[in-house]
Amino acid sequence: MIQYAAILLIFIGLYGLLTNRNIIKIIISLNIIEIGLNIFIISIGFVFDGIAPIMTSVNNSSALIYVDPVPQALVLTAIVIGVGTTALGLALAKNIHSKYKTLEIDEVEES
Amino acid sequence: MMNPIFLIAFPLLAAFLSILSKKLAPVLLLLIALLNTVMAIFIPMGIVGIGGFSFPYGINLYVDTYAQIGLLLVNGLFTVIAILNIKKYKAYSSVLLVALTGLNGLLLTGDLFNLFVFLEISGIAAYLITSSNKKPLSTFHYLVMGSVGSSLYLFGLIILYSMFGTLNFMDMIHQIQVASIDYTDLILPFFMMFVGLGVEAKLLPFNSWVKGVLKHSNTLSGPMVAGVYAAAISLVLGRLIHNLFLFEGKLYLVVVVLLVFGIVLGEAMAFASDDVKEILLYSSISQACITALLFVHGVIIWAVYLIIANGISKTLMFLVTNRAEEQTGNAKMDSLQGLFSNNKVIGIAFTIAALSVIGMPLFAGFVIKLNYLTVLAHLDQLVVIAIILLSSIVEGIYFIRLLIKLWYPKDTDIEPIKFHLSYKIILGLMAAVLLVFGTYSAPLNQLDNSIDQVSEEIEVIFHG
Repeated sequence: MIQYAAILLIFIGLYGLLTNRNIIKIIISLNIIEIGLNIFIISIGFVFDGIAPIMTSVNNSSALIYVDPVPQALVLTAIVIGVGTTALGLALAKNIHSKYKTLEIDEVEES
Repeated sequence: MMNPIFLIAFPLLAAFLSILSKKLAPVLLLLIALLNTVMAIFIPMGIVGIGGFSFPYGINLYVDTYAQIGLLLVNGLFTVIAILNIKKYKAYSSVLLVALTGLNGLLLTGDLFNLFVFLEISGIAAYLITSSNKKPLSTFHYLVMGSVGSSLYLFGLIILYSMFGTLNFMDMIHQIQVASIDYTDLILPFFMMFVGLGVEAKLLPFNSWVKGVLKHSNTLSGPMVAGVYAAAISLVLGRLIHNLFLFEGKLYLVVVVLLVFGIVLGEAMAFASDDVKEILLYSSISQACITALLFVHGVIIWAVYLIIANGISKTLMFLVTNRAEEQTGNAKMDSLQGLFSNNKVIGIAFTIAALSVIGMPLFAGFVIKLNYLTVLAHLDQLVVIAIILLSSIVEGIYFIRLLIKLWYPKDTDIEPIKFHLSYKIILGLMAAVLLVFGTYSAPLNQLDNSIDQVSEEIEVIFHG
């Protein structure tokens, strides 16, 4: 069920990306897409009633139900990359603002 | 012992070290680029596990002739561009080292999620390289398109992971074969991954960033994006199309129609333009679509040769145009008219590259075009052949028109544009390669579609 919420978030982000003409809003839309995608990835590894995939003195049987740890590792990487891209996007936004004195794409002419 | 991981690790280490000393950074860049090119020659073949995990667990690298050709091309062109730009763009040394890390990673990795990571690393480096154009909005546009593209790739990949429980490239292919799953179930993830890579590979209609980025490009960003990046991404896309996607049914139709439109529109836009850079960038869009089309039809070896010829030609042409533009202020045909009348060597090199792209006899492009058209004819792809031939005629017209303008000066005296001796030597050598393989094509016939060993490797691993 949570997958639908994640896909909804991705579509909200895409909608924002297509309708907004403000650079900061575009970066936020990009982030919403990424968050939706991350939730989607996490939901793939979810197992109902599953426990953390760590063997302890209490949980020491391989017969127990564990959640899939791989998507969690993937999301961690994807978050880091997302932060990098967002930081670069914001740096470019600052660059655009100092060069053209606006953050509205329609007011910038760069033919 | 030579390990393929060095090709990724050394540039990454050098990128960190280069931040510490700005003076040493350009030296490190040149050293690492040269070292990588040499290492690519001696790279050992096969699967290389990382972190002590045995196949298919953990991340592994995979080297076959296909990957080696890609590494040689990418590292070689990268070195050429780095040498010619090292004086002017010293500040970009660290970024270029990161770019080299990402590109080598793309060509070597045998893990699909790792591919996404390298796609992002090389992407972020590319955004920074294009920021040297001083057109931040174009770069921002590229960043948005690139990020959405890689998100789509990741989305498709995760759907595949949830279906087959693996991220390893070869294991994934094997699982798909074993599950004998209906192809319609795979259309969504495959198409998403194709679109995601298509953004970087400049395929229509995901390439709206190309015009902004390449039109304002300089001697660093132009050849880098149109030459090196285009070659690396096309090779990666080709590997996935040929081994994993294996388009069929409706998806095949959609992809072929998209690519054919890309070829036709690319050539039409180039024909309509009077700006030398626009002509080159639209022509490279159309060439990227032709390459992808060849991979879709399983014409591996000639697609790879086409990527090599295109990589060399486009790097050469963008270097000449962007260098001339630095002195004239714009790249309009009228501003550059008569450019070669004072620069014969550069002019001859540019002419050879242009004629090779059109596919004139005596140049590498001709041999390649003749061979892939022959293979397509054997596959009964007559419509595709007709479209490629038609596009070649259009291409011929606008390139010949361009060459005539660039060779014959206007009546009025024009200020001569100067090219450094290093330009003349390197561009001359690149043109010589196109000429040699155009006249002596026997070495090209030594290799065939078996340069891509993925399916044979899967057979050995899983069936003994």
